[in-house]
Amino acid sequence: MTVKTSLYSKLVISFTAIASLAMFAWPLIIQTTSVDENRFAQTAFIVLMPLMLVLVLAEFAAGDLDSKQLAVLGVLIALNAVVRVLGAGTSGIETAFFLIIVGAYIFGSGFGFLLGTGSLFVSALLMGGVGPWLPFQMMAAGLLGLVAGLLPKSNKRWLELTLLVSFAIIGSFAYGALMTMWNWPFLAGVGTDISYSPGAGIGPNLARFFKYESLTGGLLWDTGRAITTSVLILLTAPALLATLKRAAGRAGIRR
Amino acid sequence: MPLNPFRASALHPATWWFLGLGLATIASLEVSWLPEVLVIFAAIVLMLTCRENAPWSKSVRFYLWLGAFVVGVRLLFRIIFNSGSTDSAVAFSLVELNLGGVHLLGQVSWLTLEAAATDGLRLAAIIISIGMANTLANPKRLLKSTPGALYEVATAMTVAINLAPQLIESLQRVRKARALRGRSQGISSLNSIVIPALEDSIEQSLGLAASMDARGFGRRGSLTKTQLIATRTLSLGGILLIAFATYFLLATQSQMLAIAFMVSGIIALTLTIRIASTRNLRTRYRRQKPGIKDFSVIGITLTTVVLVVIL
Amino acid sequence: MIKFRSVGFGYQGAESPIISRASFALNAGEFALVCGPTGSGKSTLLKLMNGLAPHFTGGELSGTILIDGKDVTGHKPHELAELVGYVNQQPEGSFVADTVGEELAYGLEQLGFSPAEMELRIARHAELVGIAQLLEQPLASLSGGQQQRVAIAAAMAAGQRVLVLDEPTSALDASSAAELVALLAKLAKEQGITVLLAEHRLERVLEHIDSVIVVNGDSSVVKSAPREAFKDYRLLPPVVELSQRLKLEPLALSIEEAKRGIATPLAFSKRPNQVIGKQTLAVEKLTVKYGNNVAISEVSLNARAGEVVALMGANGSGKSTMLWAIQGSGARSGGTISRPETTLVPQRAADLLFLNTLAEELAESDKFNEVEQGQTAKLFLELSNRTDPKQHPRDLSAGQQLALVLAVQLVKGTPLILLDEPTRGLDYEAKRHLVAAIRLMQENGRTVLVASHDIEFVAQIANRVYVLEEGKIATQGTTEEILGATGLMPTQIAQIANQPGLLLAEQIGDREN
Repeated sequence: MTVKTSLYSKLVISFTAIASLAMFAWPLIIQTTSVDENRFAQTAFIVLMPLMLVLVLAEFAAGDLDSKQLAVLGVLIALNAVVRVLGAGTSGIETAFFLIIVGAYIFGSGFGFLLGTGSLFVSALLMGGVGPWLPFQMMAAGLLGLVAGLLPKSNKRWLELTLLVSFAIIGSFAYGALMTMWNWPFLAGVGTDISYSPGAGIGPNLARFFKYESLTGGLLWDTGRAITTSVLILLTAPALLATLKRAAGRAGIRR
Repeated sequence: MPLNPFRASALHPATWWFLGLGLATIASLEVSWLPEVLVIFAAIVLMLTCRENAPWSKSVRFYLWLGAFVVGVRLLFRIIFNSGSTDSAVAFSLVELNLGGVHLLGQVSWLTLEAAATDGLRLAAIIISIGMANTLANPKRLLKSTPGALYEVATAMTVAINLAPQLIESLQRVRKARALRGRSQGISSLNSIVIPALEDSIEQSLGLAASMDARGFGRRGSLTKTQLIATRTLSLGGILLIAFATYFLLATQSQMLAIAFMVSGIIALTLTIRIASTRNLRTRYRRQKPGIKDFSVIGITLTTVVLVVIL
Repeated sequence: MIKFRSVGFGYQGAESPIISRASFALNAGEFALVCGPTGSGKSTLLKLMNGLAPHFTGGELSGTILIDGKDVTGHKPHELAELVGYVNQQPEGSFVADTVGEELAYGLEQLGFSPAEMELRIARHAELVGIAQLLEQPLASLSGGQQQRVAIAAAMAAGQRVLVLDEPTSALDASSAAELVALLAKLAKEQGITVLLAEHRLERVLEHIDSVIVVNGDSSVVKSAPREAFKDYRLLPPVVELSQRLKLEPLALSIEEAKRGIATPLAFSKRPNQVIGKQTLAVEKLTVKYGNNVAISEVSLNARAGEVVALMGANGSGKSTMLWAIQGSGARSGGTISRPETTLVPQRAADLLFLNTLAEELAESDKFNEVEQGQTAKLFLELSNRTDPKQHPRDLSAGQQLALVLAVQLVKGTPLILLDEPTRGLDYEAKRHLVAAIRLMQENGRTVLVASHDIEFVAQIANRVYVLEEGKIATQGTTEEILGATGLMPTQIAQIANQPGLLLAEQIGDREN
């Protein structure tokens, strides 16, 4: 399954990506200084994000998902949930991402989006972790899968690995930044030196965000995630790629 | 089998979610600490009395810890990154530090502490309310009532939920069997456990897919041209409306405009799902319909939310 | 009802088609057996009926397939769902719902039946297959036989006129298998449903079938009447092999027919059953507990070099637990075990395979076990026929997978070998290879301990038999004592001839005309 290349689909994806980024990074750009209005915006995004997620999921699934693809998707989501349960509790170890990246790379970006969102959703359902943050995590992981599915293909093993590992590093930091950005106003509130300052504009707020990230250990966490994901990709990718390519052949999935 | 009225399965899973989201809404609207504590208390009582023996019911403790964590972090941040508030009665003072332009510690006032605690409690109340819904609503039954347009996605999730425990079993089995061939070190030892288990699950899952397909899964009607254009316009429109709502929330002071866009976005979404669902030809066997209990719970929740908004 | 017109089918990358120019017809209410060696294309033929081939298998289809007068060539499975019901080898793997009622409803939901109509059809079909009282039960709580009944009811609830079953009895014990086949015969006769059944344990179905479709390994497909089909067929249950050897006319297809048709006593050669080697394995009062649950209770057994010892007994009697405890990685709560170096081949042999080609697996084994390059490959070829070394291990047949794992494990050269249910999923041909391999180990002076509930297989290889029941030894003795005419579990030939010491068809020479 691929992202349909029609203008319509491209529009859907672009608008989704832009709107989601704004919903993640709103503390950087919000203009109003009123505390109430800030809180209202924060609450509104918690409502809006799941709505947009449903629209995009319906769009990706519309007509294209047959029983075989669904079966492979189910297996990968389940494996991801299991691997996540195994890795949970150890700070800085994030075991869910390598599979999303490798799976999306093999099966394409549409599948990657479903794999990213589904993995976060199912693991949250199974081990607790459903909350206002979940739609945001799902969207971030979905976008990660979507982009991983667009990475160019190569027949050279080393090139493939380099590509995947580099993406894993960038992706881990990007995901980390988005999620930290989301819970930043929740945890730091307004009014401290490391909180966002409404209406101050992107530049000063980014500086404050960086302070928050480094002082609260968020960067350390992201580095841990980048390292585990890369190491897991290096360890498992050769075998995993072969297995998944075979599954893709059997399920008739072409990207 | 008579259902215990205090058991989670006595209510439709969607009712639990309605109740959970209702409580979360109340929590987010309140501005003082007492209502937040009451919401937390109500959610905890419900969780502990109604939960059943199911995997998703085992995360009560997780939500409670997370709630406590949020309150703690909120307070701690306020104390550590306190930019020296001088407005009211001082609770305690600490040595003030300056770390590269960031003020740390210093005087902490009661008012600051109370504000931080209330903010933290509000978050904790939202987390625990949603946690309550997650703990009590059976996700499989909930996924069964998803609208037709999301049926395939919901099926993939259900397959994954069912596969996860089997996968853990086969990982354990393969690990045990693997030792028979002799242990190899490093990379191949990880692969030699994950790969057979994955191959196994893919085989199993494709078998399941074959069985589903052979029994008619995948039949879909087609949309008429008008319907197709309508769904596409509506879903793209819905996303655009949400994007506009986001813009108005961030860039202007017009909350009313933002709310208007949000509401029309929600309407567009509902319509899209409605129309797209007509492709689904499936019927339902013994659909679990919401009963009197469900409607009373929904009614009480709605009334309370409305009262909170008005008062 | 079903018409094949010059149907051909080939898998991608295969040199020759697996089925070519197949032309035959089946009437409404006909009960047909599909048989042939593993890998011959039995499953493929069945999957062609409802489009699972090529849509779930890949491959090229040619010719025309008609079902109920409708050209279904190339249609997808879900488009044929109301015409053809399909039942799989393992019902628990293909269940979609949690309870029996929901499972029966699944197909009806997909096909858009109204809720009232659904209730009616579910009640009627549950009644028909005898599961009416189970409708509210969770599927997981049912026995294997009940589960297959649910699968059958679910496959025909929408009014399907064709029922296709791929080895549905493979996970069942003899009596539930017999009941299931009788049910299928009844459905064919009374409901006029066309039943196609693939089965390699022919003894389970021979007395009920109307016709046989033989899928030969050479891509030919031939339909004929049962007695005609088996005159010179190679893969047969002992009863038919016996009547072939005795040149019985007409061929006896069941134990009853054979008893009537064969004059006893028969002249036979003795089974070789002498072991001279020293004792290699001694287990004293072995106990295994899981919590309060006692899986094995004070079992003692021993074995000598060059001896094959069989552990028999129902599922859950503790056979596997014994093997794992003896091997050393299973739990042990009490007792002593004295054993030489040991290898175990687990029930699911494929669990040991993790590389991408047969060749890689063989090479990895040579390297890991520090034997000369090619040793494992040599062993593999002794245990199986030649196969493409580039094949993925998961694409090998069950027999070939077992051969590969056996080769990987045997190359270690340990004096004691433990085999856990090695005949699972094997046809007669693959079993013959396995029997030869075990006899070779025996000649080389190794000790083999095998857990199995396959009576005919054990009769071919074992010197002695221990029968386990609920974790205790119920009885033990020589193979002749346990599997002979007066034993606890007589073989088919023992039942027919009722002569002490006569267990196997191979003990009787071909009769001259």
